[in-house]
Amino acid sequence: MDDFERELRAAVQRQPAPSSLKRSLMERRRQARVEQHRRMVWFERLAASLVLAGVAGGALAWRKAEEHQKGEEAKRQVFAALRITHRALEEMKVQLEERDSR
Amino acid sequence: MARAWKPDFEQLVDEHQSMVFSLALRMTGDRGLAEEIAQDVFLALDKGLGKIDSPLHACHWLRRVAMSRSADALRRRRVRSMDMWIEIEEQHGAIVEERVSALGARVESLLATLPEAQRAALVLRYQEDLTPEEIASTLDAPLATVKSHLQRGLKLLRAKAAAHLKEYVRGS
Repeated sequence: MDDFERELRAAVQRQPAPSSLKRSLMERRRQARVEQHRRMVWFERLAASLVLAGVAGGALAWRKAEEHQKGEEAKRQVFAALRITHRALEEMKVQLEERDSR
Repeated sequence: MARAWKPDFEQLVDEHQSMVFSLALRMTGDRGLAEEIAQDVFLALDKGLGKIDSPLHACHWLRRVAMSRSADALRRRRVRSMDMWIEIEEQHGAIVEERVSALGARVESLLATLPEAQRAALVLRYQEDLTPEEIASTLDAPLATVKSHLQRGLKLLRAKAAAHLKEYVRGS
């Protein structure tokens, strides 16, 4: 290392950081944490809202499906009753035709 | 294996704020910007503190991020070396001259006029006392490139010094 390099080394020694650096840094860190906490609270609220909306939507869909199922069951029963009635009427018709022909 | 070292953010700030601030200051030539960069670097450290596993790692990480953030800031602001020189003269001349000789202050000013890559290599070599290998690791650059920047930077600085200072004609 020659004189020039020694002079360069002496010239570029570390400089003390301004006293405001740490103060501002700690303040920014505190603000960042508050902001992070606020974001976390919002995220939790959003997640809770999504879960609630999902549960409500699911319940609604389940109820709709159940009503549809009940409707289908009622329809089946009506058709069965109509089939039975139709069969009874057919039998009565056959019996009446037999009696008329005698 | 359990981690023996538990990082204390405030202690790390106390230990390394001078290094981070000085690196940013020498790279940007702007005291306000250097302070802002130093704060950003430490805030980034705070976020990633869990990944730091030793004091040495913290020091290396801080140097690395300080240099890359300074380079980003330079790119953003498109600072010209001559403007920076004037700025340094205006803003820091008094402080520098209190600390080192007038010649040293002039050498520091001339350092600010070097191309960014050469300045980065020289600052890490002479301020941080790093070996070329360590500089290459810090700047994420090939060793040959770093050696070239060191040689060219020193040569250019000597030439500039020779032009400005008759005392340093020797060697040029």
